[in-house]
Amino acid sequence: MTSQGPLPQATTALRDLVEGLSQWDVYGRLGWLDVKRRYRRTVLGPGWSVINLALFTGSLGMIGVGLWNQSAEAYLPFLTSGLVVWMLISTMMTEACAVFVNGANFVRQIKLNYSILVYALVWRNFIGFLHNLVVYVVVALIFPPIGIMSPATLLVVPGLALLLLNGAWIGLLLGLCCLRFRDVQQLVGTVIQISIFITPIFWPPEVLKGTSRAIFVAYNPLYHLIEVVRAPLIGQVPSASTYWAVLITTAVGWTVAYLAFSRFRKRIPYWS
Amino acid sequence: MASIVVDDIHVEFPIHGSQQSLRETMFRQAVGGLIRRNKSGRGGIVVTALSGISFTLNDGDRLGLIGPNGAGKSTLLKVLAGVYEPVAGRVLIDGRLTSLLDVMPGLDGDDTGYENIMTAAMLFGIKRADILAKLPEIEEFSELGEYLGLPVRTYSSGMMSRLAVAVATIVEPGVLLIDEGIGAGDARFAARAAVRLSDFISRSRILVLASHSEGMIRKTCNRAALLRSGRLLAIGDVEDILSQYRDLTQTPPEAVATSTDVPDQANSRA
Repeated sequence: MTSQGPLPQATTALRDLVEGLSQWDVYGRLGWLDVKRRYRRTVLGPGWSVINLALFTGSLGMIGVGLWNQSAEAYLPFLTSGLVVWMLISTMMTEACAVFVNGANFVRQIKLNYSILVYALVWRNFIGFLHNLVVYVVVALIFPPIGIMSPATLLVVPGLALLLLNGAWIGLLLGLCCLRFRDVQQLVGTVIQISIFITPIFWPPEVLKGTSRAIFVAYNPLYHLIEVVRAPLIGQVPSASTYWAVLITTAVGWTVAYLAFSRFRKRIPYWS
Repeated sequence: MASIVVDDIHVEFPIHGSQQSLRETMFRQAVGGLIRRNKSGRGGIVVTALSGISFTLNDGDRLGLIGPNGAGKSTLLKVLAGVYEPVAGRVLIDGRLTSLLDVMPGLDGDDTGYENIMTAAMLFGIKRADILAKLPEIEEFSELGEYLGLPVRTYSSGMMSRLAVAVATIVEPGVLLIDEGIGAGDARFAARAAVRLSDFISRSRILVLASHSEGMIRKTCNRAALLRSGRLLAIGDVEDILSQYRDLTQTPPEAVATSTDVPDQANSRA
């Protein structure tokens, strides 16, 4: 910062995103503190999200087995893995709405790369995902899916990477929208509530046929975002169309989020 | 050579979600920036916090900002700090920037003193190892003892400022921006904070200090700037500016012309 003469205080969206990403020590710490804060003054701490998920799976599992005429061995791993991934997506979306709203103590006190707050959000949700994964591991031990030991399972890693990459643009875009228009948060809540039912999480995609299948499965980006991690978790290879759908979602989402961020980045402290 | 160049900056705050009564309120209030309707006619309210401010500071300059409440002192500091990007104009800075504004950056009431120290220091751009090395110094100066292990929401405001001063002053100041509130606390701590702050200030190359206290500006600064309703009325010799400030505070607000012209460019962005 010295000897090149005075530098402009203004920065660009691209620099914010790239420089922010390199400050892993900062967002790593912020994300970790968020996790700690959530469980402070609770007795069971992270145990709560595991218990929540376990009860959810247990009760829905019983209904689902009857409803879709599936065997418990096939249905429970499908349901649990889907729920674990869905919880990652839905909490990222919910928290995205508050990422800049709650960041006032950052954005109004010091010059910083705003993207750090988004990376912290993704990081803390990834930590939460690892907690919840325990439930799936238990289910998979009781009802091992066919192919769980196959190399297909390794596709979890790129799948998760893609999912988190999508989480980052969602955080950026929803964070901006909700900061400026506080109603968006309510809207997002509603969308999430509906999505859990219209996306194949509780019900296997095969039960839908024809047009409704096309709408709720083939053209549902949430389905593909879930599938890209869920399929490898139950030992299957996601289809090529799923990868294409996720790649297109990623590209479109990042383009829109980047344009919005570069246009409105400097308004963030004013809106907060 | 450290330097600050402020080139014709304008800052406006759009107030979203303002009440109807506030919408009807316009112009000529005794304090604060200029409130007016958004010209685009969408019914928004815009507060002009700073308009047309320019100055240059070089090595050794200690500038005191003075002016009535809401004159734009803190906003100007935040613009210099890079918190707010002006809607028009630009700020150029050469040198490592340190800002002590109203709240510790990243402060979270549920985190302990230690956790907040680490967060704030990291946001100041200090490496983890360096913070750990400075920790005994922070503990010693803040005198917070075991409180450092408790959530900061249990702190009194005096204890908060101990923490803030202790953390902010561990960095090597280049260009230093200070808002007055810092360094409050009981009398004994205020004296210790004053010593530490003045030592800290003396190591800085440029200082910009916002304060209501004529004594503090007289003691610390070699230049002063008078702000009023977001405009820079005068900048120059400390005694000269302070006497203008005294004249200003004795005249009713109507006597000071507050013109309403704002660049069009600024309107469209609001």
